[in-house]
Amino acid sequence: MSEVSGATAPVIGEEALDRLVGRGLIVVTGKGGVGKSALAAAIARALARRGRRTLTLEVDPRENLHQLFDVPPSGGQAVTVMPGLLLQNLKPQQVVDWVVRRQVKIEMLVKRVLDSPIYHRFVEGAPGLKEMAILGHALRLLRGETPGIDAVDTVVLDAPATGHGIYLLTASRLFADAIGEGPFADMAREVAELTADAERTGLVVVTLAEEMPVQESLELREALEEQFGRSPELLVINGVYPPVPEAATATGGDADELLDLWRHRRQVNERELNRLEQTWSGPRLVLPLEPVDRGAELVARLERGLEERPVNGTEALLP
Amino acid sequence: MSRLDLHVADPPLVVVVGSGGVGKTTLAAAMGVESAQAGLDTLVMTFDPSLRLKDALGVGRAAEDEELDVPLDAEGRLAASLLDAGKTFDRLVERYAEDEASRRRILDNRYYRHLSGHLGGILEYMAVERLYEVAREKRYDRIILDTPPTTQAIDFLEAPRRIVDFLDSGALKIALRPWFDSSGRLKTTSGLGFVGRGLERFLDRIVGMQLLRDMSEFFQAFEPLFEGFHERAAEVETLLSARSTIFALVTGPGEARIPDTTFFARRLVETGHRLGPVLVNRVHPTFDVEAQQIAEGADLLQWLGASHEQGLLELRRRFPDDQVLVSLPVEKEEPTDLASLRAMGAEVQRQLVAPSPAGERDA
Repeated sequence: MSEVSGATAPVIGEEALDRLVGRGLIVVTGKGGVGKSALAAAIARALARRGRRTLTLEVDPRENLHQLFDVPPSGGQAVTVMPGLLLQNLKPQQVVDWVVRRQVKIEMLVKRVLDSPIYHRFVEGAPGLKEMAILGHALRLLRGETPGIDAVDTVVLDAPATGHGIYLLTASRLFADAIGEGPFADMAREVAELTADAERTGLVVVTLAEEMPVQESLELREALEEQFGRSPELLVINGVYPPVPEAATATGGDADELLDLWRHRRQVNERELNRLEQTWSGPRLVLPLEPVDRGAELVARLERGLEERPVNGTEALLP
Repeated sequence: MSRLDLHVADPPLVVVVGSGGVGKTTLAAAMGVESAQAGLDTLVMTFDPSLRLKDALGVGRAAEDEELDVPLDAEGRLAASLLDAGKTFDRLVERYAEDEASRRRILDNRYYRHLSGHLGGILEYMAVERLYEVAREKRYDRIILDTPPTTQAIDFLEAPRRIVDFLDSGALKIALRPWFDSSGRLKTTSGLGFVGRGLERFLDRIVGMQLLRDMSEFFQAFEPLFEGFHERAAEVETLLSARSTIFALVTGPGEARIPDTTFFARRLVETGHRLGPVLVNRVHPTFDVEAQQIAEGADLLQWLGASHEQGLLELRRRFPDDQVLVSLPVEKEEPTDLASLRAMGAEVQRQLVAPSPAGERDA
C-alpha cells in the first residue's frame, strides 16, 4: 500500500477505547448490515472490563443483542451479561408511559390514559417523541433513576441505522427548541444537553470498506457537523479483507479463482480505505473480516480488535 | 408461491424488498435491464442509489422525480426515476396544499421542517403512492420498485397500514379540533364530558401546552393533505395485494439473515400478497482447495464459501419445494455499469425460469 497523505496527523497507537471510556452515552450507528450491533456489544464488553458499569441499550423490537451476548432475551428488563455489564431491550412506549405515571398520580386516570387508543396513536404518530424517549431513558439510567437498576457509568446505545441514527440525535434538540414547556419539553432539554456535550456523549459510526456504506458514513458526518457542530468520536471500518500475501501461489483451478476473488475484494476495500483516509478527518479503526458471523465468538473477536488495533496511520490499512 | 419471469409482462409490478445493505437497488436495476432487453418497456423506481449506479443508469441528482431514459441498447425502453427521501414530503405539500398561503404555512412550520419527514412510514407510503400513480398511467409494461432502506424488511409492508391507521385514529381527530382560541388559550371541551376533561387534563399536564399548540397547528395545516392521503390509501393497499403485483425478496447469505427472511416471507403471504422469488445476493463461492497451501488467510475465503453454502441449504429447507430461490455470486466489483448489470439480470432470469426451482439444491 502506497503512502497516502491523510487529512489529519495519525494518532498511531492510541487505542480506540481511550476515546470512549470517560463518556456516559455512546451511540453506535451505521448502515444496515455492517455489523453495528455486534460492535456495540464489543464496545460495551470492553468498557465493562475497564471497570465502567455499562448497560447496552437495544431499541429494535425484534431482539437480537442477547444472542451476541449469549444470554436470554431481555423482554424489557435489564439482564446481567457479566459483572458490570447489563443488557436491556427498550420499548420507547415504556418511557412515555413512565412520564405519564409520574405526572398523573391518580391510578384510575393513569389506566384510562394508558389504555386509550388515542394515547397510543399519539405516541406512535408524534414525530420525535419516541427518539426523545429512548435518550431520556439513557439519561435516567446514568442518573440511577430507573427502578430496579442501579446507576450505570455508561450506556452503549445500539442505535437505528444511519438515516434514523442522526435523527435520533437531532430529534430531542428540535423537540426542545420547538416545545417550550411541559414534562416532555423538560426531558427533551436535558437530553439535548447530554447529546450536545462532547465530553459526555460519544458517537461511533460503523461502516464496511465498500462504496455505499462509506458514502453514507460521509453523509452522516456532514449532517452531524452541520446540525451539531461536532463529528463522530470514532469510525470503525469493519469486515476488511486481509491483504493477499505476495507469496500466494496459485495452483490452477479453484485456487486461481479463490485468489482472484480475494484480490478484487481487497482492492475494493483499499479503494474505500484510501477514500476515507483522504476525506475522514478523525480517528478511524480498521477491523478485519472474521471467520465467524454471529454470537459471542464474533463479539469477542471484535473486542480484541478494539483493544489491540492502532487508530489511523497507514498501517491501519493493513489488517 | 408465484413465478416471476422477467421476459413476460405479467405481473407488471415488481416490488423489491429486503433489509438494508443487501443490494436491493443494484438487483432492481439489473432486473430492469433484463426486462428491457426482452422488449418490455420498463421503469425502475429507486431510492438513493450509489453514485456509480446513478452514473451507470444516467440518473443524476437533477433527475429527481423525473423519469429518465437509460441509454441502453435494447428491444424495450428502460427508464429510471430517483425517489428522493428528503424531498418526498415537500412534494406532497406542493401537490395537496389548497393554496399558496397554506402551502407556505406548512413549509414554514418549524415542527414540519425538522420532524415531519419522520412521521412513521411516510417514505414507504409515498413510494407505493408513486407506484400507484405510474402504474395507473400504463406507460410501461413493467415497473420495478426498489423500496426505501429499512432496518427490517417487514417495515415496508406495514408502513402504509400505519399511515391509514393514523389517519383513521382518534389522535388525528383530536389534534384537528380547534383546541385554542385566538389568544392561544385552550378552549373548554365541555362537549366531551368527563372523557373530554380527562383528556384535556392529560394533554395539559403530560404533553405540555406548547407541544399541543405546535402539533395542533401542524396537523391543522396538514388537514387537506390528510384527506388526499386518505382517498388514496385504500387504493394503494389494494394495489399492493393485487394479482398484478409480485414481491421479490432480497437477502444476504449466511445463517444470521435467515430469521428475518423467513419471517418476512411468511408475513407477506399471510397478509394476502404475492411472494415471488427470494434472491440471495453476494454469495461467496465454495473452493475445493487446500487453503494453507495457497497463502495464509486463504482459509477465510474458504470459510465464507462454506458458511454461505450452509446458509443457502438452511434457507432452502425453510421454504416449500416450489419456492424459487435465486443465488447470486458475490461480484469482484459491485456491478456499476450497464454491461455488468446486464450480466447480473441475465443470471437472475436464468435461475428464475430454470426448470428446477432450487438451482442451488441440485448443484
